Amino acid sequence: MSELRCVLPCNGLDKCAGDLSRRAALELAQSENAALICPVLLNQNRSRYEKVLADANLTVIDGCNTRCASKLAGDLELSINDKVNVSEVAKALEIKLGVDIQESDDNRAVVQAVLAKINSSAADQAESEFIEPEAVEYNSFSHGKFIFKVPQNNYFFNENDCWVTVSGKMARVGVSDYVQQNLSDILYVDPPEIGDEFEQFDDLGSIESSKAVFEIVSPVSGTVVAVNTSLNDAPEQVNESPYEKGWLVEVKLRDFSEDQDLLHDCPAYFEFLQRKVTEIDV
Amino acid sequence: MINNKIGIISCSGEECLGGTISRLAVRKMMEELKPGMVSTLCLPLFIAGDGGEREFAEKYPTIAIDGCSKCCAKRAIEKYSNQVAGSVDVAKIIGEAKALEKPLSTRHLTDEHKEFIEQTASKTCQIFDEIAAKQ
Repeated sequence: MSELRCVLPCNGLDKCAGDLSRRAALELAQSENAALICPVLLNQNRSRYEKVLADANLTVIDGCNTRCASKLAGDLELSINDKVNVSEVAKALEIKLGVDIQESDDNRAVVQAVLAKINSSAADQAESEFIEPEAVEYNSFSHGKFIFKVPQNNYFFNENDCWVTVSGKMARVGVSDYVQQNLSDILYVDPPEIGDEFEQFDDLGSIESSKAVFEIVSPVSGTVVAVNTSLNDAPEQVNESPYEKGWLVEVKLRDFSEDQDLLHDCPAYFEFLQRKVTEIDV
Repeated sequence: MINNKIGIISCSGEECLGGTISRLAVRKMMEELKPGMVSTLCLPLFIAGDGGEREFAEKYPTIAIDGCSKCCAKRAIEKYSNQVAGSVDVAKIIGEAKALEKPLSTRHLTDEHKEFIEQTASKTCQIFDEIAAKQ
């Protein structure tokens, strides 16, 4: 059975892209499992949508790169499950969206591509087969006032201190205890888009604390199938549980056996990290 | 001379048929009735606070076209910028019950809907002309 979804389009009127966001949202709302949210009414009277926002996954459709709908959702601290940008979809199709709103084959193609992207994201999310380990055991060492934890097994690390843990063809990616301690209180996680394809060592979003922004360097190649939406409301989970609850991105792996050649396993990373904190005198 | 110094904002139109009518009436103003003579302001952008929309509505007369009696467009202008120079409530033109029907895609418009758009655009034009005459 499909999960409930609510759709927040930007609904812009002065550009074609805004109107296409509305058209895509109206099409989605034809389904019994989808509810439409008016951005303006949401801004004025959030309580009207409290129930649907609590019960359903939120899909945001932005028309242009001003991303009004995403900003509105962010301002209201709504948890976004999936978002699509009409202008980016059109660009990928090499279709130029003008100002005029008209029924054209190009516009219909963009709406269909937006719908396909949303449905494929939902399908990918639903197919996630990552099985969480029952318990993670750790080794630790201290340096000065700091104590650094590294899992005993089943995690792999790049030298940028990002980890991956694998379950079949799925994996989760996050940052190490060393990163979270360096950043201190994490305030915001900017994840990649679901459906993004990436190579090993590509950027995979960022996390931001009051001290710095840390670019997540992917330890593997693959496709983003889910992001940890609980971090929208509680980014401090990365500080509190960097290897478990604070995971960042779930990915479908492309070729882990190849990626693994350039990664440290747990004992090797433990030694690497000990050397690193000594050299830079944390 | 008008020089695009009259603004027009449609309600976002996601909740009801009145919203669909208001959006299409504004498009009709822009493209057919007053081409090059009105500045349409994007309501979501207006609310987001970017793009100079609020500043425009503070400086220049702006007309709100609302799909129902919630008057989201009018209320947004008055909250973030200034008093509206004029307002149109589609529900008063087509009737409250009709205005609260489900929103439509432009592909599903009937002759009746097109007549509603005509009437709303005509009312908006009348307000536009009155404002322009004072400028």
